[in-house]
Order: sequence, then C-alpha cells, then structure tokens
Amino acid sequence: MPEAILSLAGVHTHIGQHHILQGVSLEAIRGRATVLLGRNGAGKSTTLRTVMGLTPASAGSIVFDGQAVEKARPHAVARAGVGFVPEDQAVLRGLTVEENFRLAMLQESPEAWAKMETIFELFADLKKFWRAKAGVLSGGQKQMLAIARAFVGDHKLLLIDEPSKGLAPIVVDHLIASLNQLKRHTTIILVEQNFHMASQVGSDYFILDDGRVVHAGLMEALVDDEGLKQKYLGIA
Amino acid sequence: MTGREPTPVQMERLHQRSRRFTRPGFLIQLALLACLIAGPLVMPSFRVMDLVAKIMIFAVAVASFDIILGYTGIISFAHGMFFGLGAYSVALICHYSQPVQYHHLLLAGVLAALISTVVAVVISALSLRVKAIFFAMVTLAVAEFCHILGYQWSSLTKGEDGVSFKLPGVFSADWSGGALWGTQINGRLLVYYLILVVCALLFVGLVRFVRSPVGRVLKAIRDNEQRATALGYRVFRYRVLSTVFGSLVSSLCGALFAMWLSYVNPDTVLGTPLMLNILLMVIIGGLGTVYGGILGAAFIKIAETWLPDLQKLALSLFPKMELMHRLAERWILLFGILYILSVLFFPKGVVGTLRDQAEARRLRRLGRP
Amino acid sequence: MDLAPDAGQAGRRWAARLAAVSIWLLPLLAIDPTTYLVLTVAGLAMGMLLFLTAAGLTVIFGLMDVLNLAHGAFFAWGAYAGFAVLNALNGLGWVETGTLGQGILSVLLALLAALAIGGVLGLFLERVIIQRVYGDHLKQILITMGASMVLAEVIKVLWSPNNQTVLVPLSFTGSYDIMDVVINKFRVVAIVVGLAVYAGVMAVMQKTKLGIIIRAGVENREVVQTLGYNINRIFTGVFMAGAALAAVGGSMWGIFREQITPAMGDENLIFALIVVIIGGMGSVTGSFLGACMVGLAFNYVAYLVPKLALGANILIMVVILFIKPWGLMGREQ
Repeated sequence: MPEAILSLAGVHTHIGQHHILQGVSLEAIRGRATVLLGRNGAGKSTTLRTVMGLTPASAGSIVFDGQAVEKARPHAVARAGVGFVPEDQAVLRGLTVEENFRLAMLQESPEAWAKMETIFELFADLKKFWRAKAGVLSGGQKQMLAIARAFVGDHKLLLIDEPSKGLAPIVVDHLIASLNQLKRHTTIILVEQNFHMASQVGSDYFILDDGRVVHAGLMEALVDDEGLKQKYLGIA
Repeated sequence: MTGREPTPVQMERLHQRSRRFTRPGFLIQLALLACLIAGPLVMPSFRVMDLVAKIMIFAVAVASFDIILGYTGIISFAHGMFFGLGAYSVALICHYSQPVQYHHLLLAGVLAALISTVVAVVISALSLRVKAIFFAMVTLAVAEFCHILGYQWSSLTKGEDGVSFKLPGVFSADWSGGALWGTQINGRLLVYYLILVVCALLFVGLVRFVRSPVGRVLKAIRDNEQRATALGYRVFRYRVLSTVFGSLVSSLCGALFAMWLSYVNPDTVLGTPLMLNILLMVIIGGLGTVYGGILGAAFIKIAETWLPDLQKLALSLFPKMELMHRLAERWILLFGILYILSVLFFPKGVVGTLRDQAEARRLRRLGRP
Repeated sequence: MDLAPDAGQAGRRWAARLAAVSIWLLPLLAIDPTTYLVLTVAGLAMGMLLFLTAAGLTVIFGLMDVLNLAHGAFFAWGAYAGFAVLNALNGLGWVETGTLGQGILSVLLALLAALAIGGVLGLFLERVIIQRVYGDHLKQILITMGASMVLAEVIKVLWSPNNQTVLVPLSFTGSYDIMDVVINKFRVVAIVVGLAVYAGVMAVMQKTKLGIIIRAGVENREVVQTLGYNINRIFTGVFMAGAALAAVGGSMWGIFREQITPAMGDENLIFALIVVIIGGMGSVTGSFLGACMVGLAFNYVAYLVPKLALGANILIMVVILFIKPWGLMGREQ
C-alpha cells in the first residue's frame, strides 16, 4: 500500500455563513500528482486553502506527513513542508524575480541556491528576467514564477490552484511539460478546470461536487470513462 | 401578476402599517413626547430642563451621525464641526445684528444649512470618490482647521472668549409672560419648546430617511458595496447624499444648542471633546439604530451631570491619594476606556442588542431555529 | 525595465518637477531671501520631524491595512518620556549646567527613553487592541481614536493637563549665524536625524530580507503567509517600530520647541495624516516628500498669514487629491 503524504478525513469548512466543504475526505500519495476536478464552486480551491489554513476547517482532520495540521496557521503549514501556488498568478509584482525567490527561501542556504539551478533548467525565462519586476512578466512567466517560488521553498508537497487559468494553449503545453518535470522532485496536488492539462499531469484524481468527494480513481481510467466525465465535469 | 393582488412584501407592509399605532414602540414614543411636553410645567427645575434640552439636541445630533456611520459605513470626524458651524451661524448673526429680530434666527438657520451643505459636498466629493477611509482622515484635518480658526479668527469669533448674544423677542432670556398653573412662562421655557418641536421634527425626518428607499439603498451599500454597484446604484452619489444630509441635521442641532446656551466658544462647539462625546453616544446607543441616539445622549449627559458628585465621593473616600484625585478629575479617561470596551465587546450598543434579542424571540416564536 | 520610457510621459514628468520647484520658490515674491532661507531650514526641520511620525503611519497602513489614529499619541508620549528623562538628569546637573558631553548624552538618553516607551506602547496597543479588529476599518478607526484619547488623558494624569517647559542642554540651544541667515542648532540636528532615518528605512526596505517581507506583505499578505512567515509577528514588529519612530519624533519636537502639551499628539496626527494623504498611503518616499512639502508650506504661510498655515496644508492636500487621488506615490487599489 503506497504511503499517503496528505490525508483529509471529513473536513468541513465554513466561509461566513456558507458551508463550503461538507465532509471532504481524500488522500494524496507521496511521489504522485493528484488532481482535484469538479465544477465551479464545487470546493476545489477551498480544499487547498483549507489545507493551507487560509480558510480554517471547522471540523474534520487533516494529516500531513504524520502531523495533524487542521488547526495550524498558514505559516506553520508552510514550514511543515506544504508549498502553495494560489490562483491568478499571485506573484509579487512590485518585487523583482530575484526578490520573489529570496522571499520564498526561508533560509538563503547554498542548498536553496543550488535548487535554483534546477529551476532555471525548468523555467529558463526566469533567469532572463532575474532583475526585472515580476509585474512586467507575461502571464505564463508569472505562473511559472509562482510555481517555481513554491518549489524553491523546500516543500514536500505543492498545492497548485488552476495554473492554466487565463493562459494561451501553447503556454499551457509548456506548463504541462514543466509540471511533469517537477513531478520527479516533489508531490503535487493540482486543482484544474482544463481537463487536457489535468489528464496530462495527474496520476490520481478526486471529483468534488457540492463540497464532497463524489468519485476517485486513477487518471487513466477516467480518461476513457465518458459517462463519468459527462456527469460530473460536463465534458464529453 | 394582475396588479391588484398585493405581493407578499406589500402584504407584510400593509400588516405592519395597520398595527403602527398599537405597536409598543409607538406607545413609548408617545409617552416620551408627553413627558417632554409636560415636564417643565410639572417639575419646574432649571437643572432638569437644561439636562433634558441638551439630551434632545444631542439625541438628534447623534442620530444624524448614525445615518453617516451606522447606515452608510463612513466615519466623519467633522460631525462636531458641522454642529459648530450651525452654532456659530446663530451666535454670530444674533451677536452682530442690532437689534436682533425673529427673521435673524431664520436667516441663521438657513445660513447654517447652506454652509454645512456646501462644506459637506466639497469634502465628500473630494475624498469619498477614492476610498471611504480617506474621508475619515480628511474630515479630521478639516475639523481641526475649523477648531483653530475658531480660536484664531478672533476679529470675527472673539477667539477663546467665545460669543455671547441675545435671542429676539419672546425667546430672550429676560422676557417674561406671566405664570401658567404656577409655572413661570419665560424666554427659556419657550426656547425649550422650540427645541422640542424642531428636534422632534428632525428626528421624525431622520427615521423617515432611514426607512425610505434611499435608506434601504444605503444599508445595501454598507453591507455589500460590490453588490449594490452591480445592481446599478451609484454608490458614490448615495454616500455623498447621506453624508450631506447627516451633516446638515448636525448643523441645525448646533444652531439649537447655541440658542439654548446663548453663548458659544470654540472648545464647546468645535473641539475634539464634542466629537468624542458624539462618538461615545453613538457607540453606547448602538450603530445603525437611530433610536440608540436617544439612549446614548441621555446616558452620557446624565453621567456628565452626576460626575462632579462622583468625584467628590471619590475624593472623600481616598483623601490622601493624589493620583486618585487626578484620576477623578479626568473623567474623559473613564469615558474613553468605556468607549474602547464597548467598541470591542458591545459593538451593537444598547438598542442594537435589545433589537437582536427581540428578533431572536420573534424567530423562536415562529418556530425557526 | 527594458521598455523605452514614453517621450511624452517623460516630458510631463519634467514639467511637473519644474512646476514643483517654481511653487517652492514662489514665496520669494513676498519674503526677502534671507528670511526665506531661514524659513526653508525651519520648514525642512519640521518636515523631518513630521516624517518620523508619518513613516510609521504609512507603513502600518500599507502593510496591515490599519489606519492608526493613536499614532499621534505615541508622538506625545515620546515627548513626555524625553521631558521626564531630561528633568531627572538635570537633577544630576547634566542638562542646564553640564558639559557638552553630558548635554549630548542626556539628549541621547532622552531619545532612547522615547524609543523605548514608543515600542512598549506600540506592542501593547497592537497586541491587546488592534489585533482584535484586523480587517474591520470602521472598528479600527473608532478604537484607535479611543486609544488616542485615553493615552492623552493618561498623560494628563501622570504629568499635568498644562504645558510643560522642557529643559534643554545649553549646547543644543542657540543658533548658527551664516551671513545673516540665522539657523537654530537643533533644526540642524532634526534635519540630520530625519535624513538618517529616511536613509535607514529605505535601506532596510530595499536591501534586507525584512524589507522584502514587508514590501511583499504590503502587496499580498496571503502569499507572504503561505511562504512560511508569521505575518502577525511581523505586524507587531512593524507597529512597534512605527510607534518608536513617532515617539522619537515627539521627543525631538519637545526639545526643539522647549515646550510640550498633552494635545501635541492630536496636532501632530493631523499633520501626519495630511502628509500621508499627500504622499500616498503605504509609500515611505511619498511620506518623505509630503512631509517636506507640509513643513515648508506651513512655515512660509505662517510667516505671511499665520492664521492660514494649517489651511494652506489642507489646500495642498485638496489639490493633490484632485490631481492624483491616490497621492503622489500611492498605488491605486
């Protein structure tokens, strides 16, 4: 039985008066890429944000790498080893690319800088714009910076929220290639609306609907299951 | 829809309207009004009449502040300044017109309204467009400027000494019109009734404003600005409107206050203590309730009246401790601590909390959770 | 940036600079050059002291989204702490009758006491009160206003509601006379300290990790948290530093004016708010420029028409709000 790096059991999350997650249970296997699928408003992003502690769970348990983190604050979750790439290419526009990375390195150790070499191999553009303000990067470059920034922070698990959103198809293809490279170094949980990307990157999937997990399995099986895709994802 | 059949909302409104003269709230209002009218005749004590007049004026001033703060969600630190503008309008016109006549009072009222409207429009047009928080900062600066002007423009305002003046005709302090049921009818008594009438009218106006369609839009903006914008309301215009209306009422309250005292000076009608008093009253009464103003004003004004006695008590209890003496002198300190605690732990004030309880009871009766 | 700046934009920028300089020189039409220079030095000195308060206010607003109306109270507390230290040291004969070294040391100790009291008050206020109202502008403004009032009242209890005269070491009083331009010695000190603080703050913000964290936090608090930084601890630290700067400013103001009153915090807050609005909320450089403008304008106008000095600053604020609603260096949100 492969080991789960992150497991959620019966997680409920309220935002204001809204009951967003209504008992989410799922597991992410170490070394694999898990994709969360589902319609808009199904609770995919909230699941990631709840793991990070940004929208704290009101009930249920979240175990990361053997530690209970459902009550932990975001910085503690990050320090425990969870990297987070928020929606909408949330790079710090007023900071240079270099400063974005320095911020992400909790310790600016030689190991961290050595890791930068891997990053430059994966995302060559970031080296080119090293001293530029992140705000002048293109959408795809910003997304890569956001992912690379989470990667450099020495995390055992990366949570990536809709990286393909707002990007041109050719950029998405580049991103797919980079993420597949990244999979060799770390475990990934990906929230994705773009099924093409999800199926190319993911190994396992969970489908969420109305704040609950309604289906789960191996990605290869889902790709061929037209009925399931039609039912939950509205794609044929 | 046939157009004849009332919608559920209309039915609810009709139902409420049919009960409006029997509601407990209405009866309380009626009783309060009767007490205010009969009070000076039944109990001729100047100290009490003075207290009640001030409470009435401040209740309306606080309720008008509540329009801006509680219903629109904007903080104006210039509410005290508008109060002062109204007060100085009356004081200066009455002081410099010899002999003073009735139409001077009317002129002062119109002037107060005009000046406060213009100033409020300019301030809000400049700062509300950007961010509501700017409004707090700009009003703070402008109010301080007016306070300083009140001190330094001494050729007009007589600076720190303040302006004392006489009211015209029957409102004048030395006018006397015999006795009625054993009560001396004099200028002060008539000014009291003038204040009562104007305050009651202003208060009704404020309540109507809150319940009008404009008031509902304001609440919508306060609760969710984006949604209100998306529904097509021009948020900026509504905010300016409510700020101007609230400030206008405040300046009229200031005018009444000046008439009651026949005297103004920068510290009592323009200074920070006045503004802090208004803030304290609105917090204690409850934001977004309008009626809270009455309770808040009554609480603070009564406390102020009793504080000197409390101070004496404190001094006699601790005759040796000098720090205790100084603490007792600084009652604003106690009010300040009370104010912070109420913002933190009692944010809905007296009326807001009572309303919440009543609402919870009503829901329980209806069998909803 | 690899884009060539737009020529028209550059032209407009130069026009704006030219206009700024000519407005700066405008008072020369009514003031003779010697007086103008004296007023300029006085204005810059005032601007530097204002900057000490405004810097904290603007960074706290930018990072924590808190408008701290109690910031003026830190200024007043700093002044009183400095006053108390100088009074105590005068008992040792260090202040009014001491040597140059004793004089410098006592001023340093006064500033240090202000720094400490500002830090402690900032820590207390942030931890006990402001942390409860993060994210709620209305409550923040109401509650910091209350805190400001309470802090001013406590000053009146501990000292007195009346003005106090600050004892100043002999070596810091008096003035230099350079070709009829009389320059008060302490004004020079104020300008030097202000410039040093500005340079220090800019260096921290641009060069250090802490600076990167703060700038990142101004832009997006959530990202900073998810990168593993405890934002609450950073908030507390920045709030303390801002409070300490304001307190040092107050202490210097007290030594400079040789007189302090409990109301000085409120007055200073008004100026600092005008400065922050002019400069743009969240921008340290904007505050620096705004503080210089306010200090200079105040002194020129106070010389010509004393009653309108504060009015002139409000007028500048209004004009800036008209041209650039977000302030000189403010970011649109």
